Amino acid sequence: MYLYDTTYLRPGSIDEAKALYDAGESPAFLSGGHTLLPAMKGHLARHDRLIDIRRIPELQGIAEDESYLTIGAATRHCDVAAAPVVRNCIPALAGMVGTIGDVQVRHVGTIGGSLANNDPAADYPSAALALDAIFRTDQRTLTAEEYFQGLYTTALEPGELLVSVSFRKPEHAGYAKFRNPASRYALAAAFVAVHADGVRVAITGAGNDGVYRWHEAESALGHKFESESLDPLRADMENMSSDMHANAEYRAELVKFCTQKAVTNQNCITLL
Amino acid sequence: MKLVGERLLETSRHVVWRLLNDGEVLQRCIPGCESLSGNLDDGYDARVVLKIGPIKARFTGAVTFSEVRPDEGYRISGKGQGGVAGFASGGALVELHDDGGGTRLVYNAEAQVGGKIAQLGARLIDSTARKLTEAFFTKFAEEVAAYEAHA
Repeated sequence: MYLYDTTYLRPGSIDEAKALYDAGESPAFLSGGHTLLPAMKGHLARHDRLIDIRRIPELQGIAEDESYLTIGAATRHCDVAAAPVVRNCIPALAGMVGTIGDVQVRHVGTIGGSLANNDPAADYPSAALALDAIFRTDQRTLTAEEYFQGLYTTALEPGELLVSVSFRKPEHAGYAKFRNPASRYALAAAFVAVHADGVRVAITGAGNDGVYRWHEAESALGHKFESESLDPLRADMENMSSDMHANAEYRAELVKFCTQKAVTNQNCITLL
Repeated sequence: MKLVGERLLETSRHVVWRLLNDGEVLQRCIPGCESLSGNLDDGYDARVVLKIGPIKARFTGAVTFSEVRPDEGYRISGKGQGGVAGFASGGALVELHDDGGGTRLVYNAEAQVGGKIAQLGARLIDSTARKLTEAFFTKFAEEVAAYEAHA
């Protein structure tokens, strides 16, 4: 099926993008489009303008300071995965981004597109939550806890643009993911980050309401950082999603297994 | 897919029953409900917008009631057509029980979704149905509280 008529626009600045958005009837920002375009092709979404924000200079770039690694919202996955500064600073983050989708997806998709969509099985939300990220929009600054608001939902208002995301540098971190072999979406994945003030464990792919922190695992690992600390735990069954690919019991097992792998494989990633 | 749950409401069964049969209350509780017209005997015509991520589909359909037992419960069934998006249907057996000074509302729901929305969103249907069901009964509990505050 073909798209409904739409106008493709490519602004050169945030101000221009906002003006184009405000003048549209049912506009949408485009920053990769791997979810939006299939929905539009299926006639499940209709937008009179697609405003491609990927070339806006203010949304580009990767920078490091003492405590944070900041990535512009329109930075592509392939650029994050290959950047020496990311690989040195948070190797698990670079590794994780290198496993998103496939080569084609990584050369078009962006960090901002992924985080604004907040797919419950996407990789980036787990890193952002475990690395205590700060979200800068064209209007305000939000913590990861404020930003993620459940299945496909974020604090972003219509027309609000994500500008950059700053990941708090951990002492070390690890990521483990069990993929659906066909879609390559995570059936469950865990990002485990050790910060000076504690351990943060973020789970994606498995929660009914999208990415979440596994607090029981955080306190167990805070007590003793080894995979055996998680042996007595079980992921919250009430919160496990269930679908044609994996039921809740299986997902709960995967959550624990991935978390343990991420603990034993710090500074690396594990693909299961 | 089946969804089972319960809510404890701080009011009598009679009040819960009245609110469960109030079209305006139902419209405010059904997530994305744009319009709802009709009555308990003949059923309601509903228009509901379902939004999941980038997908937005408008469903029009009918809501009917059976096994109606005043102050005790009913079975509510719905069927909707979303055009190109597909169809959705579902139902819930709702039962009211006395519990202390309040009412325990128990629901036993099932939902089916078909067509394109089911193909594209297969991995999301359970989570979404759960979220919408939760949203309905959370809002309903608020309606009960608001009613009690004004009673």
